[in-house]
Amino acid sequence: MERPFTGIKSLETPSTYAALTYDPLDISAAINRVRSPKAGAIVTFIGTTRDNFQGKQITTLEYTSYPPLSLQTLSKILTSLSTPSLHSISVIHRLGIVPIGEDSIVISLSTPHRAEAWQIAQECLELVKEKVEIWKREWFADGGIWRANRDGAEGVQETEDVPVEFLEQEDR
Amino acid sequence: MAATFTVLYFASAHTYTGKSEDAVPGPMAVSKLFPYLEEKYPGFRKKVLSSCALSVNLEYVDLTEDADKEIQNGDEVGIIPPVSSG
Repeated sequence: MERPFTGIKSLETPSTYAALTYDPLDISAAINRVRSPKAGAIVTFIGTTRDNFQGKQITTLEYTSYPPLSLQTLSKILTSLSTPSLHSISVIHRLGIVPIGEDSIVISLSTPHRAEAWQIAQECLELVKEKVEIWKREWFADGGIWRANRDGAEGVQETEDVPVEFLEQEDR
Repeated sequence: MAATFTVLYFASAHTYTGKSEDAVPGPMAVSKLFPYLEEKYPGFRKKVLSSCALSVNLEYVDLTEDADKEIQNGDEVGIIPPVSSG
C-alpha cells in the first residue's frame, strides 16, 4: 500500500480547513477546530466504512488520493460554501486501509444559528463526494473493485458498454 | 530537463497499468495522449480511460476543447477516474 506522506496534510484559510491523513480521525479535534463564541451551532457529519455493498460482504476497504489535487479541490469546495453565516468549516478525509466501522470522513462546521449549519453540511458532503479526487477500493472475497460515486462527473465520458467500476483482474 | 512529462495513474488506472506513473516523451498534444497510452497498454482506453478526466499541473483540461493544447516536458499529468470519497 502506498503511503505518500505521514501525519496530516492540510490546506487552510482563516475559515476553512481541508485535510488528509492516513491516521485514525480525531473527531474531538475536528469539532474544536470550528468551535467559537461567535457561533452557536456546530454540526458534525461522520462517514464510517460499511461492511457490505448491496449485501455483498466487504473484507477490506482502502482509499487512495492525489493529495495536492484532492486538497486543492476540497479547499475550493469549502471556500465556495463560505457565506456570512458560515463561521468555520473543516473536512478531514482518511486514506489507506480503513478498518470496517471506523471513520473515513469528518465534516464539522459552525454557524451563528442551527438552520444553516444543517444545510451547509449536507451541501458540503454532496460536493465532496462528487468532486474530491479520492478513490475507494472495496475488497470482497472474490476480488476488489474501484467504486464510483456517480457517473458523468466533470470531464468524464460515459459509454454504455464500459462500467465505471473496473473489476480487479488479479487475486490478492 | 528530461524530454518527458509525468503521467500519474490512480485507482483503476493504477490497477490496469500496474504502475503509479510513467515518463512520456513530450511535448504532446492532449488529443494524442490517450491513443499513446492505449498503444502502451492495450485495452486501457475502453476499459479505463473512456471514463477518466485529465489534469495537467493540477488543472483539469477538457479533452475536446483543449485537444490541441500541448503537454510540455516537465508537466505533471493526472489520469482521474470517477471519484468515490466519503
